[in-house]
Amino acid sequence: MQNNPQQTARVGLFFLLGVALIWVAFETLSDGKVFKDKGYTIIAGFDNVRELKLGDEVRMAGVKVGSVEETRLTGRRAEAVLRIAPGVIIPNDANATILSAGLLGTNYIGVDLGTPGAPPLLAGAEIKTKITADINTIMAQLGDLGTKLDNALGSIGDAMKGKDGKPGLFQRLDTLLADNGGNITETMKNLKEVSGKLNSGEGTLGKLINDPKLHDELLAAVTDIKSAANNAKGFMTDAQAIVDQVKSGQGTLGTLIYNDEAGQNIKVVTKNLRDISDKLAKGEGTLGKLINDDVLYRDAQGTLKKVDRMVEGLADQGPISAVGVVANSLF
Amino acid sequence: MKQLTNICAGIGSAVLLLGKSIGHAPTLLRQWPRFIEQCYLIGYTTLPIVAILSFFIGSVLALQAGYSMQSFGAKEFIGSLVGLSMARELGPVMVAILVAGRVGSAITAELASMKVYQEIDALETMNIPPSRILVLPRLAAVLVMMPVLTIIGDLVGWLGGAIVSKYTPFIALEPEKYFETLRRFMKFKDVLNGLEKAEVFGFFVVLVCCSIGLETRGGPREIGASVTRAVVVSLILILVLDYFVTKILI
Repeated sequence: MQNNPQQTARVGLFFLLGVALIWVAFETLSDGKVFKDKGYTIIAGFDNVRELKLGDEVRMAGVKVGSVEETRLTGRRAEAVLRIAPGVIIPNDANATILSAGLLGTNYIGVDLGTPGAPPLLAGAEIKTKITADINTIMAQLGDLGTKLDNALGSIGDAMKGKDGKPGLFQRLDTLLADNGGNITETMKNLKEVSGKLNSGEGTLGKLINDPKLHDELLAAVTDIKSAANNAKGFMTDAQAIVDQVKSGQGTLGTLIYNDEAGQNIKVVTKNLRDISDKLAKGEGTLGKLINDDVLYRDAQGTLKKVDRMVEGLADQGPISAVGVVANSLF
Repeated sequence: MKQLTNICAGIGSAVLLLGKSIGHAPTLLRQWPRFIEQCYLIGYTTLPIVAILSFFIGSVLALQAGYSMQSFGAKEFIGSLVGLSMARELGPVMVAILVAGRVGSAITAELASMKVYQEIDALETMNIPPSRILVLPRLAAVLVMMPVLTIIGDLVGWLGGAIVSKYTPFIALEPEKYFETLRRFMKFKDVLNGLEKAEVFGFFVVLVCCSIGLETRGGPREIGASVTRAVVVSLILILVLDYFVTKILI
Protein backbone atom coordinates (compact mmCIF):
# COMPACT_ATOMS: atom_id res chain seq x y z
CA MET A 1 0.00 0.00 0.00
CA GLN A 2 1.33 3.38 -0.97
CA ASN A 3 0.19 6.73 0.43
CA ASN A 4 -0.55 9.86 -1.50
CA PRO A 5 2.51 12.11 -0.81
CA GLN A 6 0.21 15.08 -0.23
CA GLN A 7 -1.67 13.15 2.42
CA THR A 8 1.57 12.27 4.22
CA ALA A 9 2.68 15.91 4.11
CA ARG A 10 -0.62 17.09 5.55
CA VAL A 11 -0.45 14.61 8.39
CA GLY A 12 3.15 15.62 9.09
CA LEU A 13 2.30 19.30 9.03
CA PHE A 14 -0.69 18.74 11.24
CA PHE A 15 1.36 16.80 13.74
CA LEU A 16 4.07 19.48 13.78
CA LEU A 17 1.41 22.14 14.31
CA GLY A 18 0.11 20.22 17.31
CA VAL A 19 3.57 19.82 18.79
CA ALA A 20 4.27 23.53 18.24
CA LEU A 21 1.02 24.53 19.93
CA ILE A 22 1.73 22.28 22.90
CA TRP A 23 5.15 23.91 23.14
CA VAL A 24 3.60 27.39 22.98
CA ALA A 25 1.15 26.52 25.73
CA PHE A 26 3.93 25.09 27.81
CA GLU A 27 6.18 28.11 27.39
CA THR A 28 3.34 30.51 28.13
CA LEU A 29 1.96 28.78 31.16
CA SER A 30 5.00 27.49 32.97
CA ASP A 31 7.61 30.08 31.96
CA GLY A 32 9.69 27.21 30.59
CA LYS A 33 10.89 26.25 34.04
CA VAL A 34 10.41 22.50 33.78
CA PHE A 35 13.53 21.94 31.74
CA LYS A 36 15.88 24.41 33.32
CA ASP A 37 15.62 26.16 36.63
CA LYS A 38 16.54 29.76 36.04
CA GLY A 39 17.71 31.99 38.87
CA TYR A 40 18.42 30.91 42.42
CA THR A 41 16.45 29.67 45.41
CA ILE A 42 16.09 31.13 48.88
CA ILE A 43 14.22 29.75 51.87
CA ALA A 44 11.49 31.49 53.86
CA GLY A 45 10.42 29.94 57.18
CA PHE A 46 6.94 30.56 58.57
CA ASP A 47 4.81 29.26 61.44
CA ASN A 48 2.09 28.63 58.91
CA VAL A 49 2.21 28.97 55.13
CA ARG A 50 -1.61 29.12 54.98
CA GLU A 51 -2.90 28.92 51.41
CA LEU A 52 0.52 29.27 49.79
CA LYS A 53 0.78 26.89 46.86
CA LEU A 54 3.33 25.76 44.38
CA GLY A 55 3.78 28.38 41.67
CA ASP A 56 2.42 31.29 43.71
CA GLU A 57 4.19 34.53 42.94
CA VAL A 58 7.01 36.18 44.84
CA ARG A 59 6.72 39.94 44.48
CA MET A 60 9.21 42.58 45.48
CA ALA A 61 7.56 45.97 45.90
CA GLY A 62 4.69 44.58 43.84
CA VAL A 63 6.83 43.39 40.92
CA LYS A 64 6.98 39.67 40.23
CA VAL A 65 10.51 38.45 40.87
CA GLY A 66 9.97 34.73 41.26
CA SER A 67 7.67 31.95 42.38
CA VAL A 68 7.15 29.45 45.15
CA GLU A 69 8.93 26.28 44.13
CA GLU A 70 8.15 24.09 47.09
CA THR A 71 6.43 24.17 50.47
CA ARG A 72 7.64 21.73 53.10
CA LEU A 73 7.52 20.99 56.80
CA THR A 74 10.91 21.14 58.51
CA GLY A 75 10.76 20.27 62.19
CA ARG A 76 8.16 22.47 63.79
CA ARG A 77 7.94 25.10 61.10
CA ALA A 78 6.83 25.37 57.49
CA GLU A 79 9.32 26.39 54.86
CA ALA A 80 8.70 27.82 51.43
CA VAL A 81 11.43 27.49 48.83
CA LEU A 82 11.33 30.56 46.61
CA ARG A 83 12.88 30.61 43.16
CA ILE A 84 14.05 34.11 42.38
CA ALA A 85 14.66 35.25 38.81
CA PRO A 86 18.29 35.74 37.79
CA GLY A 87 19.53 39.28 38.18
CA VAL A 88 17.15 40.11 41.01
CA ILE A 89 19.09 41.04 44.13
CA ILE A 90 17.35 40.69 47.46
CA PRO A 91 19.12 42.44 50.37
CA ASN A 92 19.75 40.20 53.37
CA ASP A 93 17.71 42.45 55.65
CA ALA A 94 14.58 42.28 53.45
CA ASN A 95 11.49 40.74 55.02
CA ALA A 96 9.16 38.20 53.38
CA THR A 97 5.45 38.16 54.23
CA ILE A 98 2.56 35.99 53.04
CA LEU A 99 -0.06 38.33 51.59
CA SER A 100 -3.46 37.83 50.03
CA ALA A 101 -3.98 39.02 46.47
CA GLY A 102 -7.74 39.05 46.86
CA LEU A 103 -10.64 37.70 48.81
CA LEU A 104 -10.64 34.54 46.72
CA GLY A 105 -7.73 33.16 48.71
CA THR A 106 -4.89 33.71 46.25
CA ASN A 107 -1.71 34.26 48.20
CA TYR A 108 1.69 35.56 47.25
CA ILE A 109 4.90 36.27 49.05
CA GLY A 110 5.69 39.96 49.35
CA VAL A 111 9.34 40.87 49.85
CA ASP A 112 10.22 44.44 50.89
CA LEU A 113 13.15 46.36 49.46
CA GLY A 114 15.39 46.15 52.54
CA THR A 115 17.98 48.85 53.14
CA PRO A 116 20.05 50.15 50.23
CA GLY A 117 23.61 48.90 50.22
CA ALA A 118 22.86 45.83 52.35
CA PRO A 119 24.70 42.69 51.16
CA PRO A 120 22.59 40.47 48.86
CA LEU A 121 21.05 37.17 49.88
CA LEU A 122 22.98 34.28 48.38
CA ALA A 123 21.48 31.14 46.83
CA GLY A 124 20.13 28.80 49.49
CA ALA A 125 20.17 31.50 52.19
CA GLU A 126 17.22 32.13 54.44
CA ILE A 127 15.24 35.33 54.19
CA LYS A 128 13.78 37.03 57.28
CA THR A 129 10.03 36.68 57.60
CA LYS A 130 7.27 38.68 59.21
CA ILE A 131 3.95 37.37 60.37
CA THR A 132 0.79 39.12 59.28
CA ALA A 133 -2.70 38.41 60.50
CA ASP A 134 -4.70 36.36 58.05
CA ILE A 135 -8.38 36.86 57.42
CA ASN A 136 -9.35 34.05 59.83
CA THR A 137 -7.43 35.65 62.71
CA ILE A 138 -9.01 39.00 61.95
CA MET A 139 -12.44 37.39 61.92
CA ALA A 140 -11.71 35.68 65.26
CA GLN A 141 -10.61 39.02 66.74
CA LEU A 142 -13.75 40.67 65.40
CA GLY A 143 -15.75 37.93 67.13
CA ASP A 144 -13.94 38.65 70.41
CA LEU A 145 -14.61 42.35 69.97
CA GLY A 146 -18.29 41.59 69.48
CA THR A 147 -18.37 39.57 72.72
CA LYS A 148 -16.64 42.39 74.62
CA LEU A 149 -19.05 44.95 73.19
CA ASP A 150 -21.93 42.75 74.20
CA ASN A 151 -20.56 42.50 77.75
CA ALA A 152 -19.99 46.25 77.96
CA LEU A 153 -23.52 46.98 76.77
CA GLY A 154 -24.84 44.41 79.27
CA SER A 155 -22.98 46.18 82.10
CA ILE A 156 -24.41 49.54 81.07
CA GLY A 157 -27.87 47.99 80.96
CA ASP A 158 -27.36 46.47 84.41
CA ALA A 159 -26.19 49.84 85.75
CA MET A 160 -29.35 51.41 84.42
CA LYS A 161 -31.76 48.70 85.49
CA GLY A 162 -30.02 47.37 88.58
CA LYS A 163 -28.87 43.85 89.25
CA ASP A 164 -28.95 41.31 92.12
CA GLY A 165 -31.40 43.38 94.15
CA LYS A 166 -29.24 46.52 93.95
CA PRO A 167 -31.10 49.54 92.63
CA GLY A 168 -30.23 50.83 89.16
CA LEU A 169 -29.33 54.35 88.13
CA PHE A 170 -32.94 55.36 87.46
CA GLN A 171 -34.14 53.93 90.76
CA ARG A 172 -31.41 55.83 92.60
CA LEU A 173 -32.33 59.06 90.84
CA ASP A 174 -35.93 58.47 91.75
CA THR A 175 -35.02 57.91 95.43
CA LEU A 176 -32.83 61.03 95.40
CA LEU A 177 -35.67 63.12 94.05
CA ALA A 178 -38.18 61.68 96.51
CA ASP A 179 -35.91 62.16 99.54
CA ASN A 180 -34.89 65.71 98.69
CA GLY A 181 -38.21 66.87 97.31
CA GLY A 182 -38.65 69.57 100.04
CA ASN A 183 -35.14 70.93 99.60
CA ILE A 184 -35.46 71.06 95.87
CA THR A 185 -38.79 72.87 96.13
CA GLU A 186 -37.23 75.36 98.56
CA THR A 187 -34.26 75.93 96.25
CA MET A 188 -36.54 76.48 93.29
CA LYS A 189 -38.58 78.96 95.34
CA ASN A 190 -35.44 80.90 96.24
CA LEU A 191 -34.29 80.89 92.65
CA LYS A 192 -37.68 82.23 91.59
CA GLU A 193 -37.46 84.99 94.19
CA VAL A 194 -33.94 85.96 93.04
CA SER A 195 -34.98 86.02 89.42
CA GLY A 196 -38.03 88.15 90.33
CA LYS A 197 -35.81 90.68 92.09
CA LEU A 198 -33.46 90.74 89.13
CA ASN A 199 -36.37 91.35 86.84
CA SER A 200 -37.76 94.22 88.90
CA GLY A 201 -34.35 95.96 89.00
CA GLU A 202 -33.63 95.43 92.69
CA GLY A 203 -30.04 95.10 93.94
CA THR A 204 -26.80 95.85 92.09
CA LEU A 205 -27.21 93.04 89.59
CA GLY A 206 -30.84 93.95 88.97
CA LYS A 207 -29.95 97.59 88.39
CA LEU A 208 -27.16 96.58 86.10
CA ILE A 209 -29.60 94.59 84.09
CA ASN A 210 -32.57 96.94 84.14
CA ASP A 211 -31.22 100.53 84.51
CA PRO A 212 -30.40 102.10 81.11
CA LYS A 213 -28.31 104.86 82.80
CA LEU A 214 -25.95 102.32 84.24
CA HIS A 215 -25.71 100.74 80.86
CA ASP A 216 -24.82 104.08 79.26
CA GLU A 217 -22.18 104.78 81.85
CA LEU A 218 -20.71 101.37 81.38
CA LEU A 219 -20.73 101.96 77.63
CA ALA A 220 -18.97 105.35 78.05
CA ALA A 221 -16.36 103.75 80.29
CA VAL A 222 -15.78 101.07 77.77
CA THR A 223 -15.47 103.70 74.99
CA ASP A 224 -12.92 105.61 77.05
CA ILE A 225 -10.96 102.47 77.66
CA LYS A 226 -11.10 101.78 73.97
CA SER A 227 -9.81 105.23 72.99
CA ALA A 228 -7.07 104.95 75.65
CA ALA A 229 -6.14 101.67 74.16
CA ASN A 230 -6.05 103.28 70.71
CA ASN A 231 -3.80 106.05 71.99
CA ALA A 232 -1.58 103.50 73.60
CA LYS A 233 -1.52 101.67 70.34
CA GLY A 234 -0.50 104.86 68.48
CA PHE A 235 2.15 105.51 71.03
CA MET A 236 3.43 102.00 70.68
CA THR A 237 3.48 102.40 66.89
CA ASP A 238 5.51 105.63 67.22
CA ALA A 239 7.85 103.99 69.68
CA GLN A 240 8.22 101.11 67.34
CA ALA A 241 9.00 103.49 64.45
CA ILE A 242 11.64 105.21 66.59
CA VAL A 243 13.14 101.89 67.58
CA ASP A 244 13.13 100.86 63.91
CA GLN A 245 14.87 104.10 62.95
CA VAL A 246 17.43 103.63 65.67
CA LYS A 247 17.92 100.05 64.56
CA SER A 248 18.42 101.12 60.98
CA GLY A 249 21.08 103.55 62.14
CA GLN A 250 19.12 106.70 61.31
CA GLY A 251 19.18 109.82 63.51
CA THR A 252 21.66 110.78 66.18
CA LEU A 253 20.85 107.94 68.54
CA GLY A 254 20.92 105.43 65.70
CA THR A 255 24.29 106.70 64.51
CA LEU A 256 25.57 106.66 68.06
CA ILE A 257 24.54 103.08 68.61
CA TYR A 258 25.00 101.47 65.24
CA ASN A 259 27.68 103.59 63.48
CA ASP A 260 31.14 102.20 64.13
CA GLU A 261 32.84 105.41 63.05
CA ALA A 262 30.84 107.48 65.53
CA GLY A 263 31.74 104.94 68.19
CA GLN A 264 35.40 105.30 67.38
CA ASN A 265 35.11 109.11 67.50
CA ILE A 266 33.44 108.93 70.89
CA LYS A 267 36.22 106.68 72.11
CA VAL A 268 38.82 109.21 70.90
CA VAL A 269 36.91 112.09 72.48
CA THR A 270 36.63 110.23 75.76
CA LYS A 271 40.33 109.48 75.69
CA ASN A 272 41.16 113.09 74.98
CA LEU A 273 38.89 114.23 77.78
CA ARG A 274 40.57 111.81 80.11
CA ASP A 275 44.02 113.10 79.09
CA ILE A 276 42.86 116.64 79.69
CA SER A 277 41.37 115.78 83.05
CA ASP A 278 44.55 113.92 84.01
CA LYS A 279 46.61 116.97 83.04
CA LEU A 280 44.24 119.20 84.91
CA ALA A 281 44.54 116.99 87.98
CA LYS A 282 48.29 117.00 87.75
CA GLY A 283 48.30 120.76 87.39
CA GLU A 284 49.81 120.74 83.95
CA GLY A 285 49.04 123.49 81.44
CA THR A 286 47.43 126.85 82.00
CA LEU A 287 44.08 125.60 83.13
CA GLY A 288 45.69 122.99 85.40
CA LYS A 289 47.78 125.55 87.01
CA LEU A 290 44.76 127.78 87.24
CA ILE A 291 42.93 125.09 89.10
CA ASN A 292 45.70 123.68 91.20
CA ASP A 293 48.10 126.59 91.84
CA ASP A 294 46.74 129.08 94.42
CA VAL A 295 49.55 131.50 93.55
CA LEU A 296 47.69 132.28 90.37
CA TYR A 297 44.50 132.72 92.38
CA ARG A 298 46.18 135.20 94.67
CA ASP A 299 47.73 137.01 91.69
CA ALA A 300 44.38 137.15 90.03
CA GLN A 301 42.78 138.41 93.21
CA GLY A 302 45.41 141.17 93.46
CA THR A 303 44.91 142.09 89.83
CA LEU A 304 41.19 142.21 90.23
CA LYS A 305 41.48 144.49 93.22
CA LYS A 306 43.67 146.81 91.17
CA VAL A 307 41.18 146.79 88.35
CA ASP A 308 38.44 147.59 90.82
CA ARG A 309 40.25 150.61 92.08
CA MET A 310 40.97 151.79 88.58
CA VAL A 311 37.36 151.54 87.56
CA GLU A 312 36.30 153.50 90.58
CA GLY A 313 38.79 156.24 89.54
CA LEU A 314 37.34 156.24 86.08
CA ALA A 315 33.88 156.62 87.51
CA ASP A 316 34.86 159.78 89.29
CA GLN A 317 36.27 161.25 86.13
CA GLY A 318 33.37 160.06 84.01
CA PRO A 319 31.25 163.26 83.72
CA ILE A 320 34.30 165.40 82.94
CA SER A 321 35.37 163.05 80.22
CA ALA A 322 31.90 163.03 78.81
CA VAL A 323 31.77 166.81 78.56
CA GLY A 324 35.22 166.75 76.96
CA VAL A 325 34.06 164.28 74.37
CA VAL A 326 30.96 166.27 73.53
CA ALA A 327 32.97 169.48 73.22
CA ASN A 328 35.46 167.83 70.98
CA SER A 329 32.79 166.69 68.65
CA LEU A 330 31.14 170.10 68.51
CA PHE A 331 34.31 172.00 67.82
CA MET B 1 -29.48 -10.87 32.47
CA LYS B 2 -28.97 -11.16 28.76
CA GLN B 3 -28.10 -7.48 28.62
CA LEU B 4 -25.52 -7.92 31.34
CA THR B 5 -24.05 -10.88 29.48
CA ASN B 6 -23.89 -8.78 26.32
CA ILE B 7 -22.09 -5.96 28.17
CA CYS B 8 -19.60 -8.44 29.63
CA ALA B 9 -19.14 -10.02 26.20
CA GLY B 10 -18.52 -6.61 24.70
CA ILE B 11 -15.93 -5.73 27.36
CA GLY B 12 -14.32 -9.12 26.92
CA SER B 13 -14.01 -8.83 23.14
CA ALA B 14 -12.62 -5.28 23.47
CA VAL B 15 -9.99 -6.43 25.98
CA LEU B 16 -9.02 -9.37 23.79
CA LEU B 17 -8.80 -7.13 20.75
CA LEU B 18 -6.59 -4.74 22.71
CA GLY B 19 -4.34 -7.59 23.79
CA LYS B 20 -4.00 -8.87 20.22
CA SER B 21 -3.31 -5.39 18.84
CA ILE B 22 -0.62 -4.68 21.43
CA GLY B 23 0.87 -8.05 20.51
CA HIS B 24 1.21 -6.83 16.94
CA ALA B 25 2.74 -3.50 17.96
CA PRO B 26 6.22 -4.35 16.54
CA THR B 27 4.69 -4.55 13.07
CA LEU B 28 3.56 -0.93 13.18
CA LEU B 29 6.58 0.41 11.33
CA ARG B 30 5.93 -1.97 8.46
CA GLN B 31 2.39 -0.59 8.21
CA TRP B 32 3.51 3.03 8.11
CA PRO B 33 1.31 4.00 5.12
CA ARG B 34 -1.79 2.63 6.88
CA PHE B 35 -0.83 4.57 10.02
CA ILE B 36 -0.42 7.79 8.03
CA GLU B 37 -3.76 7.25 6.31
CA GLN B 38 -5.51 6.79 9.65
CA CYS B 39 -3.76 9.86 11.04
CA TYR B 40 -5.12 11.82 8.09
CA LEU B 41 -8.66 10.54 8.64
CA ILE B 42 -8.70 10.87 12.41
CA GLY B 43 -6.72 14.08 12.78
CA TYR B 44 -6.53 16.25 9.70
CA THR B 45 -10.10 15.81 8.47
CA THR B 46 -11.54 16.31 11.96
CA LEU B 47 -9.70 19.61 12.48
CA PRO B 48 -12.28 22.02 10.97
CA ILE B 49 -15.19 20.76 13.05
CA VAL B 50 -13.00 20.71 16.17
CA ALA B 51 -11.95 24.32 15.55
CA ILE B 52 -15.50 25.54 14.93
CA LEU B 53 -16.95 23.75 17.94
CA SER B 54 -14.13 24.85 20.28
CA PHE B 55 -14.37 28.45 19.15
CA PHE B 56 -18.04 28.63 19.97
CA ILE B 57 -17.72 26.69 23.20
CA GLY B 58 -15.08 29.19 24.35
CA SER B 59 -17.25 32.09 23.23
CA VAL B 60 -20.35 30.82 25.00
CA LEU B 61 -18.35 30.13 28.15
CA ALA B 62 -17.03 33.69 28.16
CA LEU B 63 -20.49 35.07 27.47
CA GLN B 64 -22.14 33.09 30.26
CA ALA B 65 -19.32 33.79 32.69
CA GLY B 66 -19.39 37.50 31.87
CA TYR B 67 -23.15 37.63 32.31
CA SER B 68 -23.02 35.87 35.67
CA MET B 69 -19.90 37.58 36.98
CA GLN B 70 -20.71 41.17 36.04
CA SER B 71 -23.10 41.44 38.97
CA PHE B 72 -20.35 40.91 41.51
CA GLY B 73 -17.42 42.48 39.68
CA ALA B 74 -15.39 39.38 38.90
CA LYS B 75 -15.25 39.90 35.14
CA GLU B 76 -11.47 39.80 35.00
CA PHE B 77 -11.60 36.15 36.04
CA ILE B 78 -13.32 35.17 32.78
CA GLY B 79 -9.90 34.41 31.30
CA SER B 80 -9.04 31.92 33.98
CA LEU B 81 -12.52 30.39 33.92
CA VAL B 82 -12.57 29.87 30.15
CA GLY B 83 -8.93 28.76 30.14
CA LEU B 84 -9.32 26.20 32.89
CA SER B 85 -12.68 24.90 31.66
CA MET B 86 -11.43 24.46 28.09
CA ALA B 87 -8.09 22.92 29.01
CA ARG B 88 -9.20 20.62 31.80
CA GLU B 89 -12.66 19.53 30.75
CA LEU B 90 -14.45 20.84 27.70
CA GLY B 91 -11.55 20.63 25.27
CA PRO B 92 -10.81 16.91 25.70
CA VAL B 93 -14.45 15.87 26.15
CA MET B 94 -15.67 17.79 23.11
CA VAL B 95 -12.86 16.52 20.91
CA ALA B 96 -13.52 12.96 22.10
CA ILE B 97 -17.24 13.31 21.34
CA LEU B 98 -16.45 14.66 17.89
CA VAL B 99 -14.01 11.82 17.26
CA ALA B 100 -16.63 9.32 18.42
CA GLY B 101 -19.25 10.83 16.13
CA ARG B 102 -17.12 11.49 13.09
CA VAL B 103 -14.33 8.90 13.22
CA GLY B 104 -15.74 6.19 15.51
CA SER B 105 -18.89 5.80 13.48
CA ALA B 106 -16.86 5.58 10.25
CA ILE B 107 -14.57 2.95 11.74
CA THR B 108 -17.48 0.85 12.97
CA ALA B 109 -19.29 1.17 9.66
CA GLU B 110 -16.17 0.17 7.70
CA LEU B 111 -15.25 -2.79 9.89
CA ALA B 112 -18.87 -3.93 10.22
CA SER B 113 -19.35 -3.98 6.46
CA MET B 114 -16.05 -5.81 6.03
CA LYS B 115 -17.26 -8.32 8.59
CA VAL B 116 -20.72 -8.62 7.04
CA TYR B 117 -19.29 -9.01 3.54
CA GLN B 118 -16.81 -11.59 4.86
CA GLU B 119 -13.70 -9.61 4.04
CA ILE B 120 -12.55 -10.12 7.63
CA ASP B 121 -13.02 -13.85 7.24
CA ALA B 122 -11.00 -13.72 4.02
CA LEU B 123 -8.17 -11.92 5.81
CA GLU B 124 -8.20 -14.47 8.60
CA THR B 125 -8.11 -17.26 6.03
CA MET B 126 -5.00 -15.66 4.59
CA ASN B 127 -3.54 -15.59 8.10
CA ILE B 128 -3.68 -11.82 8.24
CA PRO B 129 -5.11 -10.94 11.64
CA PRO B 130 -7.55 -7.97 11.38
CA SER B 131 -6.28 -6.71 14.71
CA ARG B 132 -2.91 -6.11 13.04
CA ILE B 133 -3.82 -4.32 9.85
CA LEU B 134 -7.20 -2.80 10.80
CA VAL B 135 -7.06 -2.06 14.53
CA LEU B 136 -3.40 -1.38 15.39
CA PRO B 137 -2.87 1.52 12.90
CA ARG B 138 -6.09 3.17 14.08
CA LEU B 139 -5.16 2.89 17.76
CA ALA B 140 -1.68 4.26 17.08
CA ALA B 141 -3.07 7.06 14.91
CA VAL B 142 -5.62 8.15 17.52
CA LEU B 143 -2.93 8.20 20.20
CA VAL B 144 -0.83 10.53 18.07
CA MET B 145 -3.67 12.73 16.83
CA MET B 146 -5.77 13.27 19.95
CA PRO B 147 -3.29 15.60 21.73
CA VAL B 148 -2.88 17.61 18.52
CA LEU B 149 -6.65 18.02 18.09
CA THR B 150 -7.12 18.84 21.77
CA ILE B 151 -4.45 21.51 21.97
CA ILE B 152 -5.84 23.17 18.86
CA GLY B 153 -9.31 22.97 20.40
CA ASP B 154 -8.04 24.52 23.64
CA LEU B 155 -6.28 27.40 21.97
CA VAL B 156 -9.13 28.15 19.57
CA GLY B 157 -11.53 28.07 22.54
CA TRP B 158 -9.38 30.54 24.49
CA LEU B 159 -9.25 32.77 21.47
CA GLY B 160 -13.04 32.62 21.07
CA GLY B 161 -13.46 33.59 24.71
CA ALA B 162 -11.04 36.50 24.32
CA ILE B 163 -12.85 37.82 21.22
CA VAL B 164 -16.26 37.60 22.86
CA SER B 165 -14.95 39.20 26.06
CA LYS B 166 -13.59 42.14 24.10
CA TYR B 167 -16.52 42.79 21.82
CA THR B 168 -19.45 42.10 24.14
CA PRO B 169 -20.56 45.51 25.49
CA PHE B 170 -21.39 44.38 29.02
CA ILE B 171 -18.08 42.49 29.38
CA ALA B 172 -15.62 44.68 27.42
CA LEU B 173 -12.56 42.92 28.82
CA GLU B 174 -9.27 43.69 27.10
CA PRO B 175 -7.48 40.60 25.70
CA GLU B 176 -4.35 41.54 27.70
CA LYS B 177 -6.30 41.29 30.94
CA TYR B 178 -8.07 38.12 29.75
CA PHE B 179 -4.83 36.33 28.96
CA GLU B 180 -3.11 37.75 32.04
CA THR B 181 -5.66 36.13 34.39
CA LEU B 182 -5.63 33.01 32.23
CA ARG B 183 -1.88 32.76 32.69
CA ARG B 184 -2.01 33.66 36.37
CA PHE B 185 -4.44 30.93 37.33
CA MET B 186 -3.33 28.22 34.92
CA LYS B 187 -0.39 25.92 34.92
CA PHE B 188 0.89 23.83 32.05
CA LYS B 189 -0.16 20.87 34.19
CA ASP B 190 -3.80 21.81 33.53
CA VAL B 191 -3.26 21.61 29.77
CA LEU B 192 -1.30 18.40 30.19
CA ASN B 193 -4.14 16.87 32.23
CA GLY B 194 -6.52 17.68 29.39
CA LEU B 195 -4.22 16.10 26.82
CA GLU B 196 -3.90 12.95 28.93
CA LYS B 197 -7.66 12.74 29.26
CA ALA B 198 -8.11 13.21 25.52
CA GLU B 199 -5.58 10.44 24.92
CA VAL B 200 -7.54 8.03 27.14
CA PHE B 201 -10.89 8.98 25.60
CA GLY B 202 -9.66 8.71 22.01
CA PHE B 203 -7.99 5.37 22.63
CA PHE B 204 -11.08 3.81 24.20
CA VAL B 205 -13.44 5.29 21.61
CA VAL B 206 -11.44 3.76 18.74
CA LEU B 207 -11.03 0.46 20.59
CA VAL B 208 -14.76 0.18 21.33
CA CYS B 209 -15.72 1.18 17.77
CA CYS B 210 -13.30 -1.38 16.24
CA SER B 211 -14.50 -4.05 18.63
CA ILE B 212 -18.20 -3.43 17.93
CA GLY B 213 -17.51 -3.27 14.19
CA LEU B 214 -15.63 -6.55 14.20
CA GLU B 215 -18.31 -8.22 16.34
CA THR B 216 -21.10 -7.41 13.90
CA ARG B 217 -23.15 -10.41 12.86
CA GLY B 218 -25.86 -10.52 10.18
CA GLY B 219 -26.55 -8.30 7.19
CA PRO B 220 -26.58 -4.63 6.17
CA ARG B 221 -29.18 -3.72 8.81
CA GLU B 222 -26.78 -4.86 11.53
CA ILE B 223 -24.15 -2.48 10.15
CA GLY B 224 -26.40 0.49 11.02
CA ALA B 225 -27.26 -0.99 14.41
CA SER B 226 -23.56 -1.52 15.13
CA VAL B 227 -22.75 2.08 14.23
CA THR B 228 -25.49 3.39 16.49
CA ARG B 229 -24.40 1.15 19.32
CA ALA B 230 -20.73 2.08 18.86
CA VAL B 231 -21.49 5.83 19.03
CA VAL B 232 -23.80 5.48 22.05
CA VAL B 233 -21.35 3.27 23.93
CA SER B 234 -18.50 5.65 23.05
CA LEU B 235 -20.39 8.69 24.38
CA ILE B 236 -21.31 6.92 27.61
CA LEU B 237 -17.76 5.64 27.96
CA ILE B 238 -16.33 9.14 27.46
CA LEU B 239 -18.41 10.62 30.27
CA VAL B 240 -17.86 7.68 32.65
CA LEU B 241 -14.13 7.64 31.96
CA ASP B 242 -14.06 11.43 32.34
CA TYR B 243 -15.10 11.15 35.97
CA PHE B 244 -12.55 8.47 36.85
CA VAL B 245 -9.65 9.95 34.87
CA THR B 246 -10.31 13.38 36.38
CA LYS B 247 -10.35 11.86 39.83
CA ILE B 248 -7.04 10.12 39.19
CA LEU B 249 -5.41 13.21 37.69
CA ILE B 250 -6.53 15.75 40.31
